[in-house]
Amino acid sequence: MRPNRNRAVARWLLAVSVMALVAAGCGGDDDGGAEPAAPVTTAAPADDGGGGGGDAPAETTEAPAPDTTEAPSETPTTEAPMEDMEPQELVIAVTTEPSTLDAQVVNDRAARVVTGNLFESLIFRDRNAQLAPGLALSWGPVDETTWEFTLREGVEFHDGTPFNAQSAAFSVNRMVAEDFETQRGSYIRGILSAEAVGDYTIRVSTDGPDAILPLQMAQVPMVPDGAGDEMNDSPVGTGPYMFAGWDRGQSITAELFDGYWGDGGSIDRFVVRIVPDKQTALAALQNDEVHLVLDILPEQIDMVPQAKNVPATEFSYIAFNTYVPEMSDPRVRVAMNLAVDKETLAASLYGGFARPNNAQHLTPESLGFNDDIGPFPYDPDQARALLAEAGYPDGFQVTMNVPIGRYLRGEETGLLVAQYLEDIGLDVDIQQWEWNEYRSAGRIPGTEEDALDLKYGWNSNEWFDSARVASHVTCGGRSSKICDELVTEMFEIGVTVVDQNERDQAYQRAWARLHENPHAIYLLQQDLIYGMAANLVWEPRLDDEYYVAEMSLS
Amino acid sequence: MPTPQTPAAGRPDGPAAGGLVLLILRRLRDGIITLALVVAVIFVLTNLVGDPALVYAPVDATDEEVERLARAFGLDDPFLQRFAEYFVDVFTGDFGDSHWQKRPALNAVFDALPNTIMLTLAGIAGAAVFGIIGGIMAGARPGSVFDRVNNLTSVAALSVPNFWLGLLLIVVFSLRLGLFPTSGKLGWSSIVLPAATVAIVHGGRIFQLVRSATVEEMSKPYVLVARSKGFPRRTVLWRHVLRNTGLTTATIAGWEYVRLWGGAVFAIEWVFAWPGIGTLMINAAHRQDFFVLQAAVIIAGAFVVTSNLLVDLMYRAIDNRVKAS
Repeated sequence: MRPNRNRAVARWLLAVSVMALVAAGCGGDDDGGAEPAAPVTTAAPADDGGGGGGDAPAETTEAPAPDTTEAPSETPTTEAPMEDMEPQELVIAVTTEPSTLDAQVVNDRAARVVTGNLFESLIFRDRNAQLAPGLALSWGPVDETTWEFTLREGVEFHDGTPFNAQSAAFSVNRMVAEDFETQRGSYIRGILSAEAVGDYTIRVSTDGPDAILPLQMAQVPMVPDGAGDEMNDSPVGTGPYMFAGWDRGQSITAELFDGYWGDGGSIDRFVVRIVPDKQTALAALQNDEVHLVLDILPEQIDMVPQAKNVPATEFSYIAFNTYVPEMSDPRVRVAMNLAVDKETLAASLYGGFARPNNAQHLTPESLGFNDDIGPFPYDPDQARALLAEAGYPDGFQVTMNVPIGRYLRGEETGLLVAQYLEDIGLDVDIQQWEWNEYRSAGRIPGTEEDALDLKYGWNSNEWFDSARVASHVTCGGRSSKICDELVTEMFEIGVTVVDQNERDQAYQRAWARLHENPHAIYLLQQDLIYGMAANLVWEPRLDDEYYVAEMSLS
Repeated sequence: MPTPQTPAAGRPDGPAAGGLVLLILRRLRDGIITLALVVAVIFVLTNLVGDPALVYAPVDATDEEVERLARAFGLDDPFLQRFAEYFVDVFTGDFGDSHWQKRPALNAVFDALPNTIMLTLAGIAGAAVFGIIGGIMAGARPGSVFDRVNNLTSVAALSVPNFWLGLLLIVVFSLRLGLFPTSGKLGWSSIVLPAATVAIVHGGRIFQLVRSATVEEMSKPYVLVARSKGFPRRTVLWRHVLRNTGLTTATIAGWEYVRLWGGAVFAIEWVFAWPGIGTLMINAAHRQDFFVLQAAVIIAGAFVVTSNLLVDLMYRAIDNRVKAS
């Protein structure tokens, strides 16, 4: 008995001392993290993120796998030469499990990491976030309410059925059906139906002139003719990867589709692993269990083998209720924009992984971006002068509303901005909200008593088009608490006139106007930061898509 | 099935067996009442906190789009009608369909359930070894090195949040020592760290109570008498002291197991990416996927009720005195 007991004691002592050592080690790491310049490869600055050339996602060629060219799919017996080649497997960690894999239903990022590789739309976005031919080669308006798409020939679904006008029309009609529950509602808004008018031509009709139909169609994934509920757990698309398995709660696997019409990827299979806890995901990355972790924090950069960042299509702002008497004067709103030091905000709260918003909720690649407009400078003196000019030399009382746990450092941003506003003489109350209540409260029209004075939020513009912001800045818009006739008129042109140049000009005028008559305190454009394995070769995309065909392992 | 109330008469196992059946039936009745309450409370609570259609809809959805979803979800019926329908459905085994997962909520729960059962059983087994055997050995020789080390470990484990301990184990045993995968359920070795976390935290609490019960028992006169009569220490400990502390031990071990199902294991599942119902519930709550959340809570509730019943039965096996009551 005695020797046993001693061994047990020894084991515990060992474990305890190991823990103590590790604790010491962790302390050391923390110290390192405090230093600003980290010894990590960080991606080239913002604008370079999309500089990789304008080819469509699936057409990007990355060192083609030698086997796929050598053994065309016809002969299933060519397994032998595969043996000496270790199939390349890539693992991506996501925090939430996709609820379904039907690309026409889901739209959250975790699901898109999977479905974006299995499904394709008629229109793609290239690496510069511009619309590019996808399963449609060309498209254009036929009349006010009809668009025609000419489809690519020779495309096949993973189940072997051909992609043609019939399946394309079916795909659109399936999604716009009244009883189809989809999270992609904003992409089918205004679309009535689609019909095949030839073997490889379809027409899509809308309930009015719809200038943004092409960008909507970029988010309408194509499914086989007659697809139904089976798409939820055994999806079939035309993408470079085909669904291979779903281990509920754990992982989803997809394999290279050898019947793919374009250039496939060099990765033979990829696994999307569900790791809810970010700390655990980072540990898994350090332990070589996963290759890519999305959305890491600035302070976690030191913990990963390789980090890359890309400017996100996320713009933080604090919306005004311009119907509040004190804030009805544009001078007051300009003053409040001048009062906030955006540079300090970006540097202090986001470790530099954010930049002042160009006062237009748009990336420079987006349609309607106005080059002449930049961030409001930090000028508290002028802000005070403007306030006095508007008749509020002693400021006024205002409530700032911030949701809890919704946006990265949102609560801290609220506090910091409130501080800046108090510096120019305002009296700011901060009110924090649970997200779903906040969302409802945020929609109360500005003219009503319960409307929120100041509302913090992030606007995501994954359309790369000013139209995405319409509901925030036009008279009577869903989330709008401003009514400027010129802006409304220009946005009307933007969503109805088909000519892209005309739209661009209209939006630019609207943004210029919104600079004089701001609808919000424009804060920051945020970054997305990725933790990557040392051997993962990949440039993050501007459009928040994760195409495995663009990734490779060195 | 009515049980005849046979008078005690001469046969000793007669009344005991009848009493056992009665006990089980009574507990089952209580359990069903408890579960009915759980169903009612969880349904009312989930429906009070928010609007599933609004959460499902895109951020920029119009009122009409949200209403369309609400209609598709069946949320436009009056609350009482939906409640009554749900209540009846649940007791006929229909827990509704998840709008997010587009499949019966019960399927989602049954996918996750075996993993949680596996983890809680492995964890409680480890906890029992650490807590009960360790507690008795430590309690038999208070102040020894074994006692101090284990005591320190259990107090330390009780003083930190369980998810933090989990992360610590990941850092030590996955990253530094490379012995186990960090997370997921990739093979037998994946269960070691999450189960060890359960074992250390919950075993720590068992250890504390078993140890003090043993110390107390060891100081009773009969132990002194037995020892002075020449019984070896080991015999006294494992034959008499163990039996007399058995009730305490069973109570605390059973209670710790129930605590796991009451939520303690869910944070551990989350940290280790263990595909159990804790992770399922948390995601369902975020998405306001009510049917999945409700089904998971009800099934977890059923486990709590069943576990309690098993603990009660265990008492009877351990201690004759309980049979009388």
